[in-house]
Amino acid sequence: MVSDKEPTILVFACNWCSYAGADLAGVSRLEMPPHCRVVRVMCSARVRPEFVIAALSRGLDGVVILGCHPGDCHYSEGNHYTRRRALLLKELLEHVGIEPERFQLRWISASEGAKFAQTITEITGEIEALDRRREPPPEG
Amino acid sequence: MPRRRIGVFVCHCGNNIGGVVRVPEVVEYARRLPNVVYAEGSLYACSEEGLSSIREKITAYGLNRVVVASCTPRTHETLFRNACEEAGLNRYLFEFVNIREHCSWIHMRAPDQATEKAKSLIKMGVAKSYHLEPQEELESEVYPEALVIGAGVTGMTAALNLAHQGLKVHLVEREKELGGLLSEVNKLFPTHRDAKEILDPLVEGVKNHSLVTIYLGSEVEGVEGFIGNFKVRITKVEEEIKVGTIIVATGARELKPIGQYGYPAMANVLTQLELEERLKEGVDEWQSVVMINCVGARGADRSYCGRFCCHTAMKNAILIKEGNPAAKIYILHQDVMASGVEAERYYRGAMELGVRFIRYDPTNPPQILGERQAEEIKVYHALIGREVILPAQLVVLTTPLVPQADNERLSKMLKVPLGSEGFFLEAHLKLRPVEFATDGVYLCGSARHPSDIRESVSQAYAASAKAAIPMREGVVRVEAITAFSQERLCNGCGNCLLVCPFGAVELKDCERGAQVAWVSVAQCKGCGCCVAACPNGAMQQRGFSDQQLMIMIEALAEGVSSGLR
Amino acid sequence: MEQELREIVRKLLEEGAIEYFIGYAEGVEPLHTTPCFIERGEQVQALVWSPLCPYNLARYLHQMKDGAGKVGLVVKGCDARAIVELVKGNQIQRERVVVVGIPCQGQVDLAKLEDAFEGVEAVEGKGDTFLVTVGEKVHSVEKERLLREKCFSCRHPISFEYDFVLGEMSPLVYGSESEFAAVEELERLPVEERRAFWRAQFERCIRCYACRDICYACYCQECIFESKAPRWLEKTTTPLDNQTYHLIRAWHMVGRCIDCGECERVCPVGIPLRRLYKKVEKEVEQLFDYQAGMRVEEVPPLVSFQIDDLVIEESS
Repeated sequence: MVSDKEPTILVFACNWCSYAGADLAGVSRLEMPPHCRVVRVMCSARVRPEFVIAALSRGLDGVVILGCHPGDCHYSEGNHYTRRRALLLKELLEHVGIEPERFQLRWISASEGAKFAQTITEITGEIEALDRRREPPPEG
Repeated sequence: MPRRRIGVFVCHCGNNIGGVVRVPEVVEYARRLPNVVYAEGSLYACSEEGLSSIREKITAYGLNRVVVASCTPRTHETLFRNACEEAGLNRYLFEFVNIREHCSWIHMRAPDQATEKAKSLIKMGVAKSYHLEPQEELESEVYPEALVIGAGVTGMTAALNLAHQGLKVHLVEREKELGGLLSEVNKLFPTHRDAKEILDPLVEGVKNHSLVTIYLGSEVEGVEGFIGNFKVRITKVEEEIKVGTIIVATGARELKPIGQYGYPAMANVLTQLELEERLKEGVDEWQSVVMINCVGARGADRSYCGRFCCHTAMKNAILIKEGNPAAKIYILHQDVMASGVEAERYYRGAMELGVRFIRYDPTNPPQILGERQAEEIKVYHALIGREVILPAQLVVLTTPLVPQADNERLSKMLKVPLGSEGFFLEAHLKLRPVEFATDGVYLCGSARHPSDIRESVSQAYAASAKAAIPMREGVVRVEAITAFSQERLCNGCGNCLLVCPFGAVELKDCERGAQVAWVSVAQCKGCGCCVAACPNGAMQQRGFSDQQLMIMIEALAEGVSSGLR
Repeated sequence: MEQELREIVRKLLEEGAIEYFIGYAEGVEPLHTTPCFIERGEQVQALVWSPLCPYNLARYLHQMKDGAGKVGLVVKGCDARAIVELVKGNQIQRERVVVVGIPCQGQVDLAKLEDAFEGVEAVEGKGDTFLVTVGEKVHSVEKERLLREKCFSCRHPISFEYDFVLGEMSPLVYGSESEFAAVEELERLPVEERRAFWRAQFERCIRCYACRDICYACYCQECIFESKAPRWLEKTTTPLDNQTYHLIRAWHMVGRCIDCGECERVCPVGIPLRRLYKKVEKEVEQLFDYQAGMRVEEVPPLVSFQIDDLVIEESS
């Protein structure tokens, strides 16, 4: 189970690009920290900001949205909306004191297995550093 | 609500999962999850045995939801959905959990944590499965005509294969002539037969077949639609063409290694294809020929091997040697790729003829000596351990095939991905090699990776066979992951309509007199953008609803005792 | 001006041009006005106007969806932005609304007034001052001392056709401070301090939902917070649920908040909600060059995009 010492990071990955990229990382046996949990969606544009807000408020240490590179979205425009939403959401979250590293948007294509591994490793590291800096959480 | 009876099947996948994740422990854990009435481990869930067991248990335990934890849904989702359907369970009451690509294979050095992660992922999958609803797939008509892009040996083979089955083909070729790369080739490996022997019958075939319409000097300008119903715009053609499937056979081009080894400044430094053109007119009286292999391949700028350019080099070397036995022919290589009995025999034959193979090290490449043209080659002979100087009346650079310059443009147009080297990326290397993840679009030949004629032709047959399936069936079932609007909740604000990339949403009058959103299932592609844009969740996506995704988040967050972030 | 307004409304009602009129009337307590719904000509005497009319009456247009006839209302320039947004969001048809524009020269912040004076009977606007009547005396007070915060960043729609106007509709021009000063002050804090600030604020929230209920932009058939599938919030007022509530609400204000300030005014525990929503407003303006309620033809930022939108991918 998840302990207080290890972060839990929620990752949304789009079926056509980033989920495939994650699969490729698996096929390539690229080792990475085991704290992320991938939720498959068809397009990164499916991810509504309320998910991110709810996840972070419930105590998950980080949320990552992975999508296709702009211009390559399987649904042609989805990731452009994702980009705008993420831009604003990040500002809002940061304003109430949620560190920007806890919510990130990255583009991963189907052939970027290595980039997936690198991204997960990097973000996990960033969030672990944040958790170490934070004071013990309040009750309730 | 009828009680949920969830069955969980955890796959070992031989050693792939079982060697890292403690599957029996995970099965025990799954057994104790809420609403799980049955759980088992399976050696290979996708095997006949594994699938039988799933079907049996659905019946025996009255399962109304099935969760399989194994590899990736991108390969086997259909297989398991079929198994559920065969056992009488709606195929959409199935949830796939990835504990291989996303777990055991990436945490091989951390089996404890991989096991905990597998449990966590299964908990999320079981939670989601609870909220899955049965769905019916919409049938969509498939227009029985195909578009083949590229009329080289690959494209023409694919086009004829379809035409012979009675399917109409639109064959689009950018150049003014049919033939592609093969028209530049002189003789073939390993038979030394003329390339025309393969090319001409194909060209005649497509020209004479009543079902093949050829567009020369034309390119595909735009593609819209989806499988069964693509609308294609071709340059110089006024009307839009409607097709059911598309085959990408755009091939590749020979790398021209500008700036390397005196190319193209020195007139006697050629690429292999340029040599082929020369050889068509007959073998010149070159006294010395040095071929340098792996130019622009297997190195920093391009990591892959061209796969058959060694054959080409050997072939041309032998042709020159046979035409002029006194000539000194050297092939400078990093490795000779001549796998298989036939190719090995050919290689040996080349050596016996007197073609000299010299291995060089990529860190110490050959050097051209000469002022205005190449005169000699200096190379460090890796096997004998010293530098040698070779006479070089002709220098031939063996280069790999590289992606076409407009692959990116075409990939965006068709909404298909490119791999890391710029060639098109198939749906799955082993299980789905001649199609894209996008339904209705297929891939063959060097567009996918450098392929020789044998491979290209096989792939053309394969891709056209696959493309024929939906066209012959006449219908294709649209995956039931489309969006729908709940009238009762809808504000009619129109956000969904504005963000839908496919114009699948309309505002219509409803019973209470207000305007509410309505989704055309035939046009909806299931991206879910509208759902995220809907302020109160009136719009939802089948199989990916807010409830289904949120329950996964809650399952994950449960037990994260740190509370508020 | 009150008389003029009453005449216009009387005529509209007697001619049957509208079914009812939404305006301001005297409240039960002194210094409090209340929204009122006038159906007959003889009732127009109830209509009043003063710097104590904070309500954004456009909020009451939500119920138009259930009817068929026309409705009239009086709006301050700032509130007209709400009408623009309601039209954009397909919630009302402009032709069904008769809009009377009233030239507002600033609204009084009741808390500031009560701090400065006791026993105030009436307040009137006059030029750059407010005339405050206490018993026999009438104090002339510099406007800035009593003005509602939000009036310092007064903004009217760029193009709006009023059906009637009671004078020139032009926004107040006030204050040299950036309208986002309070937000910027928070931005300058280190993230932990900002977190502590908001946590302390959210802790006081009793989830009365007054902020949502008074907001013109909250017109959903069923609010997302009422949803049972999924249940975004529990009924409890834990820090977790309160933070979720305020963040989701702020998210839903993206591109729609017109800073009418009502949410903050009605909050029973005094949470500085404007400091949250103005952050969103600031980012929308800076990132997408968009302000809510200015022009009906403008497309809201979240249902459109530009190819060269800023990428946040590599930034943390």
